Amino acid sequence: MSKLLEIKNLSVHFNLIGRHVQAVRGVDLDLNEGETLAIVGESGSGKSVTSKAIMGLIPNPPGEIVKGSSILFEGKDLVSYTEKQLEKVRGKEISMIFQDPMTALNPTMKIGKQIMEGLIKHQGMSKHDARNRAIELLKLVGIPKPEVRVDEYPHQFSGGMRQRVVIAIALACNPKVLIADEPTTALDVTIQAQILDLMRDLQKKTKTAIILITHDLGVVANMAQRVAVMYGGKVVETGMIDEIFYNPKHPYTWGLLSSMPKLHATTDKLLAIPGSPPDLANPPKGCPFAARCPYAMKVCTDHMPEYTELSSTQKAACWLLDERAPKVDPPETIGVGGTKNG
Amino acid sequence: MAVANQDITKEMFLPAEIDRTENERVSGEVVSVWKDAVRRFVQNKGALLSIFIVLLIVLLAVSVPYSHNYDPTHQDLNRSNLPPRVSALSWVPFLNGQEDGIDVYQQRGIKKDFWFGTDQLGRDLWSRTWEGTRISLIIAVIAALVDVLIGVTYGGISGYFGGLTDNILQRIMEIISGIPNLVWIILLILVMKPGLIPITIAITATSWISMSRIVRGSMMKLKNQEFVLASKSLGAGNARIVFKHLIPNSLGMIIVNTMFSIPAAIFFEAFLSFIGLGIRDPQASLGSLINSGYEVLQLHPYQTVYPGLLICLLLIAFNLIGNGLRDAFDPKLRH
Amino acid sequence: MGRYILKRIGYMCITFYVVITLTFLSMKMLPGTPFQNPKLTPTQINQLKHYYGLDQPIAVQYVKYMWNLLHGDMGGSFQFGNESVTALLMNKFPVSLDLGLEAIILGAVIGLLLGIIAGLHHGKAMDWSTMIFAAIGTSIPSFIFAGVLQYFLGVYVRAFPVAGWNGPSYHFLPVVSLAVGVVAEIALFMRTEMVEVINQDYIVTAQAKGLSRFTVVYKHAIRNALIPVVTILGPLTAAIITGSLVIENIFGIPGIGSQYVSSIVTNDYPMIMGTTELYAGLFILSIFVVDILYGVIDPRIRVSGGQA
Repeated sequence: MSKLLEIKNLSVHFNLIGRHVQAVRGVDLDLNEGETLAIVGESGSGKSVTSKAIMGLIPNPPGEIVKGSSILFEGKDLVSYTEKQLEKVRGKEISMIFQDPMTALNPTMKIGKQIMEGLIKHQGMSKHDARNRAIELLKLVGIPKPEVRVDEYPHQFSGGMRQRVVIAIALACNPKVLIADEPTTALDVTIQAQILDLMRDLQKKTKTAIILITHDLGVVANMAQRVAVMYGGKVVETGMIDEIFYNPKHPYTWGLLSSMPKLHATTDKLLAIPGSPPDLANPPKGCPFAARCPYAMKVCTDHMPEYTELSSTQKAACWLLDERAPKVDPPETIGVGGTKNG
Repeated sequence: MAVANQDITKEMFLPAEIDRTENERVSGEVVSVWKDAVRRFVQNKGALLSIFIVLLIVLLAVSVPYSHNYDPTHQDLNRSNLPPRVSALSWVPFLNGQEDGIDVYQQRGIKKDFWFGTDQLGRDLWSRTWEGTRISLIIAVIAALVDVLIGVTYGGISGYFGGLTDNILQRIMEIISGIPNLVWIILLILVMKPGLIPITIAITATSWISMSRIVRGSMMKLKNQEFVLASKSLGAGNARIVFKHLIPNSLGMIIVNTMFSIPAAIFFEAFLSFIGLGIRDPQASLGSLINSGYEVLQLHPYQTVYPGLLICLLLIAFNLIGNGLRDAFDPKLRH
Repeated sequence: MGRYILKRIGYMCITFYVVITLTFLSMKMLPGTPFQNPKLTPTQINQLKHYYGLDQPIAVQYVKYMWNLLHGDMGGSFQFGNESVTALLMNKFPVSLDLGLEAIILGAVIGLLLGIIAGLHHGKAMDWSTMIFAAIGTSIPSFIFAGVLQYFLGVYVRAFPVAGWNGPSYHFLPVVSLAVGVVAEIALFMRTEMVEVINQDYIVTAQAKGLSRFTVVYKHAIRNALIPVVTILGPLTAAIITGSLVIENIFGIPGIGSQYVSSIVTNDYPMIMGTTELYAGLFILSIFVVDILYGVIDPRIRVSGGQA
């Protein structure tokens, strides 16, 4: 497997009135061909900003990708790309589906036309060919009677159907990377499963690599091969799905796993992580999670831990992994695994 | 980010005492809607300046007609069409009493100063302009207050009771608002004959409609909200719900709309003067002054300039105050 | 949609009928008479009244008036030696329509452009200057602009004729005076819509497709922002009519606006009634057209059957 996308030291800042928000602070991520990488974390952890940065869709001003960041796509640095160059990447090489299908489609344009736009732009198709391809795509994403619905407007579709249309738009030009930003959050639970199934099926057919952004670990377990856990604008732990679910090392990952509702839970209480995420206009000097971490040590508040390589695929940034730190067992409540350290 | 390992000492790996209440604290004080609105309004420089300008104009409009030595209706043909002169500022080109290079005051042997000049009948325009401003402001303020009275009542009844009442009232309003306000105003004034009261009534005849629409909309929205239902279930009567809950919660919008109806009324008064249906001589309003100034615009432009400037200042200032209030009460609308 | 249009037409007729009746009744309530010439003897006045049918009961006059109106006859003008009001209006209306349309078109084109540019540069200098211009433009009445333009460009610089309506150069000052308010109103509205649309998710979707900035703005943003702008065309028509009364007067333009003012001054009842009805008709029609237009251009309303 070769690296399709490599994000190195990505920092994104927003200059708001009276506030300088450091939304993403030195993120390293990579994505292999055909795999699904999940980025999990609560709101404000920087996961959506990271995905927008990959697309080159950070509004500037107020947003700004800080110098020294690089986003290598097939070896070429997207950060250095001009707007014109980025247009050739967006929708063609990397595309994106959004959280809310109710607002993601232009309400006054026929959905067929919305699918055709990208095809005409990137593949130089004629209107006629693009229309046929749009109908094909609608069929592919499971919309009945596509030849009729292609001429309908978004408000004539239900939420789940609209999300299928959004997926059709994203997949129109066979992109190599698909970024799905909370693709199921706004949908009913039964529809959620359908959309996830659809995405999995399509990935099998198209071999598209997916970056799945979510706060729902259930979705992650269903879809992803690898997971990156983000907190306070940083990646605090990454690893293969089994490593994250059965052998997590970072207390924040423990917290996330504990707060996930479980079918065979011994307690009927949902475990929340107390406190709220750090203010990124004024980010903490040390570990961003220190203020909420039940295992926080003195070192945590002032010094950011380095990554500790736990395997060839798993690493975590936590002082608990330092040899001088006391040995701490993950809480029982993380549920799925919780084997002992080492 | 990289920390030299030797900086990290073993003692630092002891558990930290972190005050978790710190993390849960709500930052920023809790402020009421009104305090918040005032705070936002005060930040709006344009609106503050506008309030200052309006206050200044009101002060002059109230005091000048009574304190000045000249009666605004006193005619003296010997001093007709005098250009403005302020002796203390005679080096300013337009305040030196000259017209086309001739000192008109010297020519006619007039010693007194007329700050804004005089009109065709020799009336002092300084006092007439402020007298006119006063009349225009009176009309505007009465019109705005009547707006509130009718608009809030009509819209309130329509929105609060809903159903058939609402349906009937809305159909009536639909027809009234289907007629251009110009037509209403002209017909009403024709029937009543121009004057301060008829002009005010005519202006109010249609301007209450926007107020009633706003009030109705907000009543409909508010009356189904939990706090109103709670009050109802505790046995509060209609009057109590309306005056205790609904009106206070719509007050912001009512105030904003009132602010906008003042400049609209000033405009319509001036407009009526223009088509010969305004305040009649010897009384003056800003509109009638501008209108009579226009008759001699090419010869004596100063007769139009001052009332024209004043009406512009008033309209802009009231609109800016209105905008400021709207932004202050509803920050969502601010762009 | 069909039912909706029928309903609107129904309302339109009722409103128009109410206007006509109100105009008629208020004319009957007027205190002054058109026959105030002191040279007229009482017998002559009675003869005149009989001639114009003013001695009959109001109900009879009303029915007669309505009947004639249905046949396009609005009676004879008092001030123009009994010349047909209909003919007079038909004669002068094109001038006013010309003035009004030119002002609306000029105002809409410039206003939309300004609004779009300001909206795209939200929060920057271009935006602020447009906002300041719009605040002034919507506040200051057209007759003040007319005065300023007439004095400086007409009297002082002599670049344009001061008054009259005899060719293209005569159009400039009155059209511009009338259009300033329209520009400001439309610019302000369009800007607000643009700012709102630009922040919608579907704009990000369009960008994510790799469309160029121009295509995103032109095909996605402007089209959506433009739809609600249609709604202010109704109020704008009313404002243009109001403005044209004074503008035609100031610039001596022989349209129905200046005609209206002179019939008010001379108590020319049939002329006042005719013009009032024409204005009301125009306004009612413009509201109707806007309503239907809105339904036609916004697919959300079009398909769901016009629940405007």
